[in-house]
Amino acid sequence: MRSLAYLDAGSGSLIVQAVVGGVAGVAVAAKLYWRRLTSRFRKQPSKQD
Amino acid sequence: MVAPPPVPATFTTAPDSPPRADPGSFRDPANRVFHADGQVFRGLGPQAAEDWRALAGAEFFGRLLADGKICGTETADPETLSANPVGQWATVLRHERIPFVSYPYEWSFAMLRDAALLHLEILRTAVPAGFTTKDGSAYNLQWRGAEPVFIDIGSFEPARDGEPWAGYRQFCQTLLYPLLLQAHLGLDFQPWLRSRIDGIEAGELRKLFGGTRRFRAGVLKHVHLHDAIQSRYAAASTGTVRAELKDAGFSRELVLATLGALRKLVGRLDWQPPASHWSGYRETCTYSDADREAKERFVAEALAEGDRSRLVLDLGANDGTYSRLAAGYADYVVAVESDPAVVDQLYRRLRADGERRVLPLVMDLADPSPGGGWRGVERGSFAARAEADVVLALAVVHHLAIGRNVPLPEVVDWLVGLLTTAGAGGRLVVEFVHPDDPMAARLLANKPAGLFPDYRREEFERLLGQRCTIVRRLELPSGTRTLYLGTPRDLGTPRG
Ligand SMILES: C[S@@+](CC[C@H](N)C(=O)[O-])C[C@H]1O[C@@H](n2cnc3c(N)ncnc32)[C@H](O)[C@@H]1O
Repeated sequence: MRSLAYLDAGSGSLIVQAVVGGVAGVAVAAKLYWRRLTSRFRKQPSKQD
Repeated sequence: MVAPPPVPATFTTAPDSPPRADPGSFRDPANRVFHADGQVFRGLGPQAAEDWRALAGAEFFGRLLADGKICGTETADPETLSANPVGQWATVLRHERIPFVSYPYEWSFAMLRDAALLHLEILRTAVPAGFTTKDGSAYNLQWRGAEPVFIDIGSFEPARDGEPWAGYRQFCQTLLYPLLLQAHLGLDFQPWLRSRIDGIEAGELRKLFGGTRRFRAGVLKHVHLHDAIQSRYAAASTGTVRAELKDAGFSRELVLATLGALRKLVGRLDWQPPASHWSGYRETCTYSDADREAKERFVAEALAEGDRSRLVLDLGANDGTYSRLAAGYADYVVAVESDPAVVDQLYRRLRADGERRVLPLVMDLADPSPGGGWRGVERGSFAARAEADVVLALAVVHHLAIGRNVPLPEVVDWLVGLLTTAGAGGRLVVEFVHPDDPMAARLLANKPAGLFPDYRREEFERLLGQRCTIVRRLELPSGTRTLYLGTPRDLGTPRG
């Protein structure tokens, strides 16, 4: 297994690249967003963000 | 392996000097640049060595090297490395020497843009071949004259499918944001980059792009949205996000689409100084034809005599007339000029001419680049880099001595000091503008009368004579300017 990159790529900076990449990317970003939302909902229904 | 046409070395590391780690190359522990025997090497750890073997065999890499877009690189034979620190590295590479190392905060707008475009081009070539770069820094690039070159070989690694470009944030902070700042707001980016080694943060830039400015090209996505998502996902680890993006269907095509969009955006960004800038400027450098001819002849003769020089510094280079002249007699010329618009225009012309021997830099000589980064040495100060054989200081002394109140002896000391490592071949070509010359008179008129009693030709000549042997002098036909050719005296000579 390769070691992790030396540079902190930044979580937000990784995600925003999907949006920059056009329609297909927006779909990826939406999917990611949706999954995060629903998984949080399932795991911790009572907790806030 | 094909290497680009060699550019003659201009650095002055003595041969057989012990290996010295480059203070600017520690961020990625997988590899490190060091200097030995006057050459540049890169040590690779086991993983980096494996990546290098894959890279060296890749067709795209050979093509970029042959086109001169990547710094010439070959595997060094461990046998040929004296006092070799190779023990700690799996593999050692030898690099083409960059004639004069410079930094993004010394580049003009079009230079930074061309550097950004080259970085993107390299990635767009690498990604389809299954490679990427670990980072996206402006410091990955250097220059051969007016030609950008990608130097960070250690940055290449095999791409992992389904992952976005890890260097995007760095690309924004050190390349895209400075360009947006200047293209959209007309602000010089250099002071921002000089004061922040990691560049401009999205959150900082966002504050400058409120209101309708947010609709300028590239701002909404790369600045506002980027900052918003950064804040929202501040607590999420990049490892988790990488995995989630992959699951959601992130693909190599998407990486290419992002790079394509960036390329299109950067290519559209441009900057032109306001017209008023030039009208005020033209008057600072006026000459009669007779003066110009005599001056050019004097400078050409000074350059022609003695050994061919390696590095010429042209201080206050303006449109680069004398830098270009000097390029005929030297391996490399660095044209230093404080006005970013003037440097930008000079760069565009040099680039159009394919000039590989003249490097234009934006720098105020009264406030030259200090050392920067960790311990103040990660980026070298201008003083540490400026080891010239020939210094041209043509019609610039009055700007420092009168315009900036630098004592005349200090100016002369500093000019001669730039030749410290030049040895016997060192030459200083300096033009003294007399106080009654219209240009000097204009500067003097802005200061209280009698503030500069020393600013006289006799005094300048006395100071110069203490530090240099004055080989020749020439008063220009107009009678208000004098040119000198001096060779520095031994450093032991007492000065008054
Ligand atoms: C009179 S022009 C001379 C140009 C050229 N050396 C020649 O002899 O034709 C002076 C140049 O020095 C530049 N200059 C003035 N002060 C400077 C400074 N502090 N640092 C760098 N350049 C400066 C000006 O912008 C201008 O381009």
